[in-house]
Amino acid sequence: MTGMKIDLDQVLIHIFKISITDFQMKMEDMPLSGLDNTRLEALAHDIYSELVEDACLGLCFEVHRAVKQGYFFLDETDQESMKEFEIVDQPGVDIFGQVYNQWKNKECECPNCKRLIAASRFAPHLEKCLGMGRNSSRIANRRLASSNNMSKSESDQEDNDDLNDNDWSYGAEKKAKKRKSEKSQNSPRRSKSLKHKNGELGSSVGAESYKYNYNTGISYETLGPDEVRSLLTTQCGVISEHTKKMCTRSQRCPQHTDEQRRAVRVFLLGPSAPALPDADAVVETDSFDIPEGQTLMSRLQWEDSPDISPTDSASSKASTNHSDSRKPKKKKKPSLGLNSGGGGSGSLAGGGSSSSQSNISISTKKKRPKLSAPSLSSIYDDLN
Amino acid sequence: MAARRRNHRPKRCFLSEATPPILVKTETSAFNFLWKSKTMSKESRMRATINQKLTEMGERERLKEILRARLTECGWKDQMKAHCKEVIKEKGLEHITVDDLVVEITPKGRALVPDSVKKDLLHRIRAFLAQHAS
Repeated sequence: MTGMKIDLDQVLIHIFKISITDFQMKMEDMPLSGLDNTRLEALAHDIYSELVEDACLGLCFEVHRAVKQGYFFLDETDQESMKEFEIVDQPGVDIFGQVYNQWKNKECECPNCKRLIAASRFAPHLEKCLGMGRNSSRIANRRLASSNNMSKSESDQEDNDDLNDNDWSYGAEKKAKKRKSEKSQNSPRRSKSLKHKNGELGSSVGAESYKYNYNTGISYETLGPDEVRSLLTTQCGVISEHTKKMCTRSQRCPQHTDEQRRAVRVFLLGPSAPALPDADAVVETDSFDIPEGQTLMSRLQWEDSPDISPTDSASSKASTNHSDSRKPKKKKKPSLGLNSGGGGSGSLAGGGSSSSQSNISISTKKKRPKLSAPSLSSIYDDLN
Repeated sequence: MAARRRNHRPKRCFLSEATPPILVKTETSAFNFLWKSKTMSKESRMRATINQKLTEMGERERLKEILRARLTECGWKDQMKAHCKEVIKEKGLEHITVDDLVVEITPKGRALVPDSVKKDLLHRIRAFLAQHAS
């Protein structure tokens, strides 16, 4: 027996009387079953143990090095200092032992006005009270300006222009919120109320002839016909599908076509609103100038609808800014409540874009004027 | 006696057709042994492949890092350090060796790993295996 070299496979096959193919298949199956779940689990556990051991080993090396280098026990100092900086766990006190809202209820007496102010409001109050600090001069200027404005109308362009440097929104919210408290306008809270008011600006200030939203649109439902007209003379006005708001961009805004603008005007003002001057005006500006300038001049002397009456008393500069964006129309129903055409040329050059804010006061039945301040100013120069 | 002799040498092959029960048993164990030896190498080959893949693809390093981070954030490391302090105080600061530490630390470390960490790691390993095992 010992001398025999016998193939074990053959023997086993023979002994167990299974066919070779059977046997082979069984042997071949082994690798697949080798991948069965138990094996995989075992493998996974092995890998996991390896990783954990690696981590432990790493820790041991780290600690051993710290011990040999002498920095392992550094965080343990003497007992006294340990006690001193122990974490405090009492109610009403933070972990350092300090009282947390100690100054909450304290009031301080202002050295200027002798009032008792809450501690957290003390610094801003001092700023305003003493007239020092960044915002106090701004507020003061505003108050002055608006108190002047109260007697005039709100189309106060020059303030607008000045303030336009800082902030687009300043002019708008100033006019719109004239009646509201101006305190809030410079404080950090202003922005909150502003945002809140965005959609409301148009409707809340309904009586005023011009509304400006620095929202992208105005809802045409809230506007009266005159307001709509005035809006449409200066703004694109195309009603957006999603938001049902009118586009407040200029007459030549690239997002909308003239057809859309015309359609909106027809829709809002009735079929009597005919074509826009834009289409033709684009092509030849020069030939327009003189005839349009003349009609514009004639319009300057017209008084139209009651809603411009507040603007009548406006400063000349302001009101003629309105004429800025008015391109003379083909059909005539001009309605400019401007009483001083002469002053117009002066301010024309300035207020190209700012006019869009303020020219809503002008109501025109038909198309919007073309917004081309430079050419307009040339008209006036010629005419004058 | 014959049975005993046969039991001693399970590898012997038997040509005889007659298979007394005790022979069957040894045959079975022979079969098992043979089968295992054939599949063991296959399995070990597979393991080797898997381990190689694990290392080559950087997955092992990543898993190590993940494990380390988890252990630190769950406080395992601090626990183990405290244990190390005790061991050191016990053995004496001057005469502590790496081996001492390893011997003391590793079993406790293995036991103290939180279940969540263990489960998470196993899950990742299984995912890797499922993806890359042939």
